[in-house]
Amino acid sequence: MRTRYGILVAIFSLLGSGAAFAHHSFTTEYDGSKTFNIKGTVSKVEWTNPHARFYVDTTDEKGNMVTWNMELASPSALARNGWTSRTLKVGDQVTVTGYAAKVAAYRGDARSVITADGRSLFGGASDDGRPDGGQTQ
Amino acid sequence: MVARTAVRRSKHTQDKPEVIVRQLFRKSQIPNPKFQIPKLGFGIWVLGLGIFLIALPLSAQAPQGRGGGGAGREGQGSLGTIGALGQEVKRPPVNNSPSPRLPDGTVSLDGLWVGGGPVNDIAQGLPKGETLPLLPAAIKLMEFRAAHETDDPHLWCMPMGVPRSTPYPFRFVQDITGSGASPHLFIIHEGNIHSFRQIFMDGRKHPAELDPTWFGHSIGHWENKDTLVIDTVGFNDKFWFDRKGTPHSEQLHTIERWTRPNMGTLVNTVTIEDPTYYAKPFTVSFAARLQAPGDEIMEYICQENNQYGQAGGHENPFFKK
Repeated sequence: MRTRYGILVAIFSLLGSGAAFAHHSFTTEYDGSKTFNIKGTVSKVEWTNPHARFYVDTTDEKGNMVTWNMELASPSALARNGWTSRTLKVGDQVTVTGYAAKVAAYRGDARSVITADGRSLFGGASDDGRPDGGQTQ
Repeated sequence: MVARTAVRRSKHTQDKPEVIVRQLFRKSQIPNPKFQIPKLGFGIWVLGLGIFLIALPLSAQAPQGRGGGGAGREGQGSLGTIGALGQEVKRPPVNNSPSPRLPDGTVSLDGLWVGGGPVNDIAQGLPKGETLPLLPAAIKLMEFRAAHETDDPHLWCMPMGVPRSTPYPFRFVQDITGSGASPHLFIIHEGNIHSFRQIFMDGRKHPAELDPTWFGHSIGHWENKDTLVIDTVGFNDKFWFDRKGTPHSEQLHTIERWTRPNMGTLVNTVTIEDPTYYAKPFTVSFAARLQAPGDEIMEYICQENNQYGQAGGHENPFFKK
């Protein structure tokens, strides 16, 4: 019985932890209803914790050059999802879709990154608590 | 691991369709996709992948219909499923085969695990119908923390303490002699932050006076070679049990009981005593799940580039005046 109880606890605990996989609280940093779609050139890549980041040079609606600071999942979460530190390189042309920062300008939580060769890579972690968080089956 | 190995073999293969197919199958944690997709010709896969890749940018951009087409366009609403590789993760069912044993018969806790403690709310681990025996001081502190949720030390690269867990793997180092359960046991945590817990298994007692620490002073023993019991005191009062800010004081005393009911599952049943904030001891249970074979602990140096707070305009509570 003890083993069966343990298995039941395990199953329900796993079910109950579905939206728990974020290191940092999304809702305090980003607006889950404010999306962006940026096309530009990668100017810097930071393969660092707690979140990997890359920076995209683009132009705003007035034609001024601006640099977006894009947040990704942690390097280890990305690596488990097929990324490497070389997936994005300085000079790459990318299209980035995600959620904008609550307060700061030109900061984004990158969800889809379409690389120069046409791949659309998920920038988050599975079940990371975002409105479109990775779905686990 | 298949995808990573394939990519590393030659960087020139990184963009080839077969590598991407393997990456897709890696999400389902199938050990070797070569043996899982045998009956369709490679050409069919390339054709399918081509259609997929053509569709991806379209599906990814679709939610931005209001302002898409140029640089720096913003819109409203949730993105939903965006068709990005890796967004959907298929997990295999839990491995229900018998738990492994060390040479001396003690259950082996080896493996890479995720879970085993609270993240959002420690009360989720209570038996059905029970509530936390919160004293008024705890309720008052939780109300304050609810209004200051960005003060959670975990967000600022501080350790999670006990029994809180993270989304990142941990590993028990249990058998350092090669012959069976050892007099020293370690739990190594990958994430937030890279840290370890040392559990003394040699029969010693807790020291009479302890300097408070994030993980406390732990002594452990085995019951019937099936249950690892870890008794810990000497905690500081800085970490939160969960994102809700469920509190504890330096009087915290935890008794963890770790079991492995099957190959793929660990269960951590923790009794928590803290007379500063709780009217009586309470017990919570959380399960951990075995990660896919081949996964390993990776580096996680949280302090290197923590920009938390900048996007939302929050101040580091450890630097507040």
